[in-house]
Amino acid sequence: MQSSEVISVNIWQIIISICNLLILFLILKKFLYKPVQNMLAQRQGLIDKDLESAREADKAAQANKKLYEEKLKNADEEAAEIIDDAKKKAQRKSDKILSNAKDKADDIVNQAHSDAALEVKKAQAEIKHEITEVSTLLSEKILEREINKDDHRKLIDSFIEDLGDSYDGNE
Amino acid sequence: MKKVKETRYNSKFKAIDTLLIILMILPILFGILLYIVFTPASQGIEIAGARIYFTINMPLQPLPITESQVNSWLVIVSVFFLCLYLTHGMSATHPTKRQHIVEWGIEQTKKLVSDNMGEFFDSFAPFVAAIMLLSALSSLLTLVGLYPPTSDLNVVGGWAILVFVLITYYKFKCGFFHYLKSFTEPVAFLTPLNVISEFATPVSMAFRHYGNILSGSVISVLVAAALQGLSSMIFGRLPGVLGSFPFLQIGIPAVLSVYFDIFSGLLQAFIFAMLTMLYISSGFPEDDYREKLKRKAQAAKS
Repeated sequence: MQSSEVISVNIWQIIISICNLLILFLILKKFLYKPVQNMLAQRQGLIDKDLESAREADKAAQANKKLYEEKLKNADEEAAEIIDDAKKKAQRKSDKILSNAKDKADDIVNQAHSDAALEVKKAQAEIKHEITEVSTLLSEKILEREINKDDHRKLIDSFIEDLGDSYDGNE
Repeated sequence: MKKVKETRYNSKFKAIDTLLIILMILPILFGILLYIVFTPASQGIEIAGARIYFTINMPLQPLPITESQVNSWLVIVSVFFLCLYLTHGMSATHPTKRQHIVEWGIEQTKKLVSDNMGEFFDSFAPFVAAIMLLSALSSLLTLVGLYPPTSDLNVVGGWAILVFVLITYYKFKCGFFHYLKSFTEPVAFLTPLNVISEFATPVSMAFRHYGNILSGSVISVLVAAALQGLSSMIFGRLPGVLGSFPFLQIGIPAVLSVYFDIFSGLLQAFIFAMLTMLYISSGFPEDDYREKLKRKAQAAKS
């Protein structure tokens, strides 16, 4: 078996070597770099898509949050209104009840006053009558004579009238 | 998630994986088989070029198909199946373990290229990776006992010529006159030196790489032979088999192999790739080219 020289130059071998390098370059480019690059581009696309969707979801969530906050605020206001309404109603009701009660109480008191006044008048009349009776009797006894009953009555009545006036006036 | 994994890693997927790995290793095994079949029994110390399997008659010069060509092809086939294996089952959402490695490697080569060459040469990443892989794997073939194609001047010379063509192509981007003018810079009387250095670039690149790998194997052979001699001198008086057994050849050549086969091979691959990037990008007049493009765009507008 022959061996070539340690240092030998052969044009065809050089050309083969150049072709070998170019072939390996093409193999690496087509079967290693291109698929990896495609895969990386695909991954980049996926990442971009995910980021985009995340951003959109974030935006939607923010909008929802705003909406709910507004709603919550409205609900607060509504609740306050309802409470206010209820308070006012209750106030009105209680006022009504109170005034009714007062009216009733006043009525009762007035009734009592008028009753008392009536009683007093009754009593006065009774007392007057009694006194007239008694004084007539007394003066009959004292004078031992029949005085003109009508005169007498007039006399006593005017006296009691005076008495009653002064009594009334003292009151 | 679990279901996805189950459907992705079914038996068919695994069968294809195994097939690709076998196809990846098969070329190397084939190379070793060829070596065993065609290499005659050891003839002692021998420093020679690649073995010629057969010769094809071509114009100008007959073309011998040697170990360096065959081994280069084996490396290319192996790398092809490696690529298929690495990109098999790749997915954007559920990366496999090997996918992480591939992504890391590709990111690294891209970064290396864009750091050394600038953004204009971003598409050079696969080319630089091809140079590195072909050179490194060719040199590493010595680990399985095969002839490294990088210790053949024709192989590395071909790469250097390709790089030279690329350098010149990018220098021509601003026109022929600009290319000629670049030789007279910085001073006119340096023109001959500039021309010499222009042609010295591929020569130095080729000889640096080739010389390093070849000298590694030459030194390995010489040291192994010397150790054999030394061993027979020291232990030669021992009786029987013990006397002829080269004790000193145990271990010591392995240390040299770590340096010459692994370290030197990887280093030369890296240096060749770095020089390729630097020569191409430094020879390219990027600013002038951008100005030319701008002028062209303006002319097209008006």
